[in-house]
Amino acid sequence: MASMSAGEWRECTSELDAVKAHSRSHTRTLRYEGIRGLYGMLCAILFAALAASNICSADDVDRSSRVLILYPYDERIPATNITGESARHRLIEATGGKIDLFSEFLDLSRFSEDKHVARMAHYRSEKYVDHRPDVIIALGEESAKFIITNRDAISPGARIVVCGFSSETAKQLNLPDDVVGAFSEFDITKTFEMAAHLQPSARHLVVVGGSSKFDQEWIATARSDLATLTRNMETTYLTGLSIDEFVERAGAIPQDAILLVLTVFSDRTGRNFIPQNSFAMIAAAASAPVYGPYSTYIGHGAVGGNAVTFEAVGTAVAGLALDALAGKPISDVSVPQSFVADARQVRRWGLAEADLPPGTILQFREKTLWEDYWLEVIGVIAFVIAQSLVIVALLIEHRRRSAAEQQARHRLLQVVHLNQSATAGALSASIAHELSQPLGAIRINAETAEMVLQSEKPDLQLIQQILADIRADDQRAQEIIAQMRGLLKKRGEVEWQEFDLNDVVKSAIRILHTEAERRNIAVSSPEPARQFPVRADQVHVQQVILNLATNAMDAMLDVASTERKLLFQTALAEASDNVEISVADTGRGIPRDKLGSIFDAFYTTKPTGTGLGLAIAREIIETYGGKIWADNRPDGGAIFRFVLPLAQRG
Amino acid sequence: MSPVNPIIHIVDDDRSFRTAVERLMETSGFRVVSYNSADEILARLPSPDPGCILLDLQMPGLNGLELQSRLAESAPLLPIIFLTGHGDIESTVRAIKAGADDFLEKSASSTALLEAVRRALHRCEARRLEHDRLEALRALIAGLTLRESQVFGLIVRGRRNKQIAYELETSERTVKAHRHNIMEKLGVHSLAEAVSIAERVGLLERAPQPPRG
Repeated sequence: MASMSAGEWRECTSELDAVKAHSRSHTRTLRYEGIRGLYGMLCAILFAALAASNICSADDVDRSSRVLILYPYDERIPATNITGESARHRLIEATGGKIDLFSEFLDLSRFSEDKHVARMAHYRSEKYVDHRPDVIIALGEESAKFIITNRDAISPGARIVVCGFSSETAKQLNLPDDVVGAFSEFDITKTFEMAAHLQPSARHLVVVGGSSKFDQEWIATARSDLATLTRNMETTYLTGLSIDEFVERAGAIPQDAILLVLTVFSDRTGRNFIPQNSFAMIAAAASAPVYGPYSTYIGHGAVGGNAVTFEAVGTAVAGLALDALAGKPISDVSVPQSFVADARQVRRWGLAEADLPPGTILQFREKTLWEDYWLEVIGVIAFVIAQSLVIVALLIEHRRRSAAEQQARHRLLQVVHLNQSATAGALSASIAHELSQPLGAIRINAETAEMVLQSEKPDLQLIQQILADIRADDQRAQEIIAQMRGLLKKRGEVEWQEFDLNDVVKSAIRILHTEAERRNIAVSSPEPARQFPVRADQVHVQQVILNLATNAMDAMLDVASTERKLLFQTALAEASDNVEISVADTGRGIPRDKLGSIFDAFYTTKPTGTGLGLAIAREIIETYGGKIWADNRPDGGAIFRFVLPLAQRG
Repeated sequence: MSPVNPIIHIVDDDRSFRTAVERLMETSGFRVVSYNSADEILARLPSPDPGCILLDLQMPGLNGLELQSRLAESAPLLPIIFLTGHGDIESTVRAIKAGADDFLEKSASSTALLEAVRRALHRCEARRLEHDRLEALRALIAGLTLRESQVFGLIVRGRRNKQIAYELETSERTVKAHRHNIMEKLGVHSLAEAVSIAERVGLLERAPQPPRG
């Protein structure tokens, strides 16, 4: 295992480099001022020491612990912020909020002059004179250096814990023995394992390292650490090249290879790089997936690697701080590493997220629609479901309604048929009578013919006349039967036809005339002025006329036989797109107060009536878009009228 | 049957049925007169010849039963056979009550129809004989003098000679003489015969003629 102090923080602060360079030039010119600062600092330390002892003695035993977190840069640097927030979170969580946390952003990259640093130390010493921290957490190398130098001024008795660099760096910093760190270590084998998991069929391994001392040490560590693991792979170490050569070679490696980039701080030509930048250049040109042991490579072209995360650093150093507060002995720890990966790169190279080691922190994972817009998605789904339910409900309702309508229509057809049968029954006597005329004539004619033929000198001319008459009577009988059949015709469905209403009136009169004769009723219908085409079921309209006519005939039972008159009339209605049919009688008429209710079902004045004839008539007429009503004639008797829309012709 | 060929009167508004019956009757050797309506036959009757009437029960205008009662007055000697397309009970009963001689459905066979016609003609003949007889009797009664017919009216009502003489304010002997003449003129030999004649001509139904002072 190698302990490398790669620029963990440095890479994060690349954006500050320009500012740093600028402030360094200032440093030289202002260095002399540092003496004054040192003087002031010493005063501050003395004062602070006194104040601290005072406070401590006056302090309640029960007061909350105080922890100061030192941030090396300003408040905009994500790396330290994430680490600091992670530490704060852990501290608050572990103490249940009974802790006083202080933060100081030292901005040491831009203002690193000794004089300013001393001034800052003095200011902090004064600031915390009444609130000396019990533990100071220094994030990063710069903070560590600062607090080691100024610990006595700021909080003489405080425990100091540091983090954000490797134990190697810590050695170089010469940390005092009581300063304990949570160090970040790097393990290249774990990064390789991740690559091997993602690319199980890879047969090539290319390891890249720069020319700086650090880079070379990394290469050496990698060689020894990877030796056993890569025995079956063709392993190439690319080092001692210029950045352009690195880029060129990276673009030429086979796609089934694993490209492992350690650090390139400087290349063969001595050109210096921030490793993150050199990594990005190589990764951009690479023809195979690229891996690296730093979380800062993520987002710059790395598929992934095994690295220390800022959150983990924060959590680890907070752990040390908590132990210190609790008075437990503490010692250096190394921050646990985690696998990190870039979801975009995993996808770009066609690798499977499922092949990532368990617990991998997957960054840049495109949030699914659900994750980004779950509220909206729920809303939309809920809306769609609600809408679907409404649609389904409407469809069911529609089906039920149309089923009910169909049933109602079916019932109407059945009722109409019953009505037809009843009418046929009532007219059966007159129909039988009517039929008996031609049948009787046929029989007598036939028997007469027999007699004629039996005579000595048969009159063949007479026979011929007889046969002609028989044929005519047969024809007549058939017409009567056809009429009867039309009267009884059963409808399964409404049969829409276009017909002249005059024809229906005529056929109704033909059906009724025998019965009318039998009852001594004079039937009349003036010759119509024109045709009245309507669209309806002829049998139904005929039934309406028959119902009105039989009612009218029944109404004239009590009237003197010479006064019994039944009048049918067809005419253009007032609204000229309607035709009006009237059936008038000379009967008793209808009592005024009953004019409105006579069309109600079961309303009847006849001892044997069902009270359905007029109700059915109204049902039929309304089915065909018409209207039916009744009135009394001024000179006695009732008149029933109905209108039907004229069929549009042409 | 009388030597005169009888006439069958056919009243039916249905032309084809009427024609068929006409043919049947003519073929069977009858004379036929047919009428399209009740009014027509009423206008043309009575006829002096024997015969019968075939009458359709259901006709527009005056119906069969009404016509029947009118015919009973104008042509009492002609029997009426009713023909109906469909003999419902109601009209059958009414026709028979009104004195229909026969009642046939139009679907009846021509044999049945001819049978009915022949029966009717027999009845017609009988009626005519009876009618002739009554006419003869009425002629005999009409031959009586006024006094004789007064006495006759009282005799047949069972009055004794003495009572009659008292009512007519005459002598018993005079009554006896009238009585003798009456018996002579009527050609009867007993009171019973005289009563029978009076009954047949309908004399008994009328009130006796009041005596004149």
